[in-house]
Amino acid sequence: MLAIVSAAAIGCDKIDENNYIVYSGASGEWFDGTPVEDHSQRAFLEKYTGVRCNNCPTADQVIAAASSQYGDKLVVVSIHDSNTLQRPIGDSPDMRCPDGDTWSKALGVFGAGEYPMALVNRKPSGNGWERFNPVGGVSTQIDEALAAAPSVALSLSADRVDASIDINVYIEYLSTLSGKQTVTLLLIEDGIIATQKMPNHSDSAGYQHNHILRDVITDLWGADIDANGQAGTCRKARFSYTAANQEWNLDRCHIIALVSDKESKKVYNSAQCSISAEK
Amino acid sequence: MKSIRAKIIVFAAVTVAMQCVTSTVAKAQGILGGHVTGNVQFDGQLSKRDTIIGSSDVPEKLLTNARADILYTNGNFSAGLRYEAYLGPMLGFNSQYTGQGIANYFVSYKTQTFAVTAGHFYEQFGSGMTMRAYEDRYLGLDNALRGINVTYRPWKGVTLKGLVGQQRYFWDTKGLVRGMDAEVSFNDIITAWNESKTRFTLGGSFVSKYEEDETILADISGFKLNLPKNVAASSVRMDLNRGGFGLQAEYAFKSQDPSIVNDYIYKNGNALWLSASYSQKGLSANIQAKRVDNMGFKSVRSISGEMLYINYTPSITKQHTYAFLSMYPYATQSTGEMGLQADFMYKFKKESLLGGKYGTDIHINASLITGLDTTVLGGKGTEGYSSSFFGTGETYYGDISLEIAKKLSSKVKLTATYGYVVFNPVVEGHAGDIHHNHVAIADLTWKINRKNVLRFEAEWMGSDSHYDPIVDDKRAGDWIMGLVEYNFTSAWFVSLSDQYAYKDGVGNYYNLSVGYTKGATRLQVGYGKQREGIICIGGVCRNVPASNGLTFSLTTSF
Amino acid sequence: MKKSILFLAAMLVFGFAMSQNAKLPENISIKTLDGKTVETSIIKNDGHPIIISFWATWCKPCNRELNAIKEVYEEWQEETGVKLVAISIDDSRSASKVKPHVDGNGWEYEVYLDQNQDFKRAMNVVNVPHTFLIDGEGNIVWQHTSYVDGSEEELFELVKKLANGEKIN
Repeated sequence: MLAIVSAAAIGCDKIDENNYIVYSGASGEWFDGTPVEDHSQRAFLEKYTGVRCNNCPTADQVIAAASSQYGDKLVVVSIHDSNTLQRPIGDSPDMRCPDGDTWSKALGVFGAGEYPMALVNRKPSGNGWERFNPVGGVSTQIDEALAAAPSVALSLSADRVDASIDINVYIEYLSTLSGKQTVTLLLIEDGIIATQKMPNHSDSAGYQHNHILRDVITDLWGADIDANGQAGTCRKARFSYTAANQEWNLDRCHIIALVSDKESKKVYNSAQCSISAEK
Repeated sequence: MKSIRAKIIVFAAVTVAMQCVTSTVAKAQGILGGHVTGNVQFDGQLSKRDTIIGSSDVPEKLLTNARADILYTNGNFSAGLRYEAYLGPMLGFNSQYTGQGIANYFVSYKTQTFAVTAGHFYEQFGSGMTMRAYEDRYLGLDNALRGINVTYRPWKGVTLKGLVGQQRYFWDTKGLVRGMDAEVSFNDIITAWNESKTRFTLGGSFVSKYEEDETILADISGFKLNLPKNVAASSVRMDLNRGGFGLQAEYAFKSQDPSIVNDYIYKNGNALWLSASYSQKGLSANIQAKRVDNMGFKSVRSISGEMLYINYTPSITKQHTYAFLSMYPYATQSTGEMGLQADFMYKFKKESLLGGKYGTDIHINASLITGLDTTVLGGKGTEGYSSSFFGTGETYYGDISLEIAKKLSSKVKLTATYGYVVFNPVVEGHAGDIHHNHVAIADLTWKINRKNVLRFEAEWMGSDSHYDPIVDDKRAGDWIMGLVEYNFTSAWFVSLSDQYAYKDGVGNYYNLSVGYTKGATRLQVGYGKQREGIICIGGVCRNVPASNGLTFSLTTSF
Repeated sequence: MKKSILFLAAMLVFGFAMSQNAKLPENISIKTLDGKTVETSIIKNDGHPIIISFWATWCKPCNRELNAIKEVYEEWQEETGVKLVAISIDDSRSASKVKPHVDGNGWEYEVYLDQNQDFKRAMNVVNVPHTFLIDGEGNIVWQHTSYVDGSEEELFELVKKLANGEKIN
């Protein structure tokens, strides 16, 4: 009986009085904003890939070519979920990311189990999202995304001191949007060297991985934008974030910001900026 | 129209089925060496608009709630399922019930020392202050857990229980609840106490819920709540009896649990309940005291409403059954309250001075419930408040009632009741003046002969409340009520009643009901107006909107 | 809608299936008035009939029924050996009032608490009062819901039949 009662002491999470509330990296601090200069529409391409997937390097080549073609109009993230093709080979770095895994499962990539797989702007299709194999080319989907008139203009800046990063996001509604919109912030890293299975089934020990998702800074599906969706609304949000993991090379990291529809997860627009201290 | 026809067909089918079933009254059906038993309930309602009482048209015309429990038992094994259909849930039921399907299913194996149930189950630890999964079909409330429940008795007098499950939420299940309970009857485990007149039982329980983190913004811009993922509640309880004396107590504690119930404060919760009683033949007295402080315990922190409660902190006030005494029922304020309730019952013996030829029963009850004496420390994301243990806050509810029951002759019995009720509207969540109501009731039963029984009921309520169209509480004002009920054999009854707000109030609520009972089957049809009000059963209350029209109800067991 | 009709049809089939008396369940946990947990197998009467009455302290017809039977209980017992077992479905709001209520009313019945309503569910009780008649072998031979003054006499006719070894149908 005593054991049961004392179990109460260990069966709950005790939160210290000084920590009842925590700085909401996840939801941001919101202010009135000013119009955003850059009204360009960008395409957000998320690629689900794996180190044991021998077709994935081909997709990397296709996307690298697209990046030089579209320049900063294309925003890329490369995601390693928790499926079997993503297990690191040998003792090379593990690029799997729990946040990316949740996305993979929610967007139906994990369930389909085919890699590489890509989505552009999380375009809804039927009850899910339009997914395609990027090996066959990505320009059709990117062109379609870029052809749309931008409904939200977005820019961001980041200040980093060691591992703590202050991120400012500027949002201007160019047309009136119904429903709720969210802003999602991602941390990605370039230039990670990890062994990759190649199309000829060999292992390439010096393979360079770019745009690797390290963390989703906000809540997974974004922080609510503190605005009513009316055209002309300008908002600014400040997020503060500490990149805790010692293994990440922050000088090779970027922040990506997405503005999405809260219900359908469709991405309206995106932007990215570097957090390199060497800039 | 099509759906109405379909519902009528179903109703007819149910009726026919019931007749078939009742023709084999009380005979269970033998299948594979086991037995199939069950029960069916079918309620329907046709409501039409009435601007005075505030009832509205129902787009579906006919609203129906139907359910059937089927239970299969074979020795130690049993299995059951329940089909529920809310094809247009009846007025007062949450519209999220709309739909039909198998709402409850289980398999169970029970021996004298071991029991396991998989599927939906109901369970209660002690008085339920830490855990009570239960169902009240009339309140539209079902907190069944779906999971596994195990009971084990390692020795005589020792009962251990363990469970894990998710809670029913309309047609969904939510949350994750884990719990264990132990109870020891000392008269069984200590040989020397086996025959002792003093009976002593001790119990303890532990319940924990798990929830994932979510973003709940603090009142301070840029901050969010640091939420506990695991919240635990535990309690100790005792039950001591010697002859006519009885003493029961339970103390419960709950860890930090910011939720929509307490407006996301971090204060620990606790509750204490005491009951002392003495009784002998023809005399009984019972006193209960209770203090509840921040004990609302839900399996999902952010969902409001009466569903998903893990625990149960009942009101200790007397459950009045006469219409005007229960017009303003009290509901436990799980955020904090203090209460005292006393009951006294005495039988004057036959041929005594006050007993007369047939004896006289008196029953006195009094209760007083107040808020806690609290000091506010902050809002959301803070400790919330502090409270002094013995301090009391504003009065929430008080009542005193005296009931005298006396057989006037071998055929006529009269029950006369006087009650005084003090009610603070804040317990229903809105501000307003405290109401003071006097209620007088005469209830007379005249058993004409073995086959014919008449019952009359007259009630009066004088209140200092006045009808205010802004608040629109249709219970306000002074009321009178009359009821005549005629029973022909034990099978048929007809009752006619009217409640009328004759001063400072609104409404005239007449009702005609006809009922037929045969064995375990009961059919009742009513026509009239139902006052908007609050129905409370146990510690839980539900708002019932006004209705005007036809209602019918069929229940049967087989 | 179709589904529910099918379902009801299935129940109808059950209704016509070969009938056989259900037994009183033996392994349901209930509590004695002094707080001890026991099994329903404790409900026994040496081969004589048993009346099981589900009731609650707040239920007026239940109290009328149990008070009415109280007046004649001694006679019934002498004549037929019947025993009445009253099962209170009061929850924790009023469960602690059950013992004082029983004593105060001077009831000589065997009374148990069914706070978790396991027994109530196993017996398919929807509303109280609900009364069962159990024969000497533990078969449930009759049941009735609701109470009207005087209907205890009908119940006693059935008890007498049972005690005389006659069949009830």
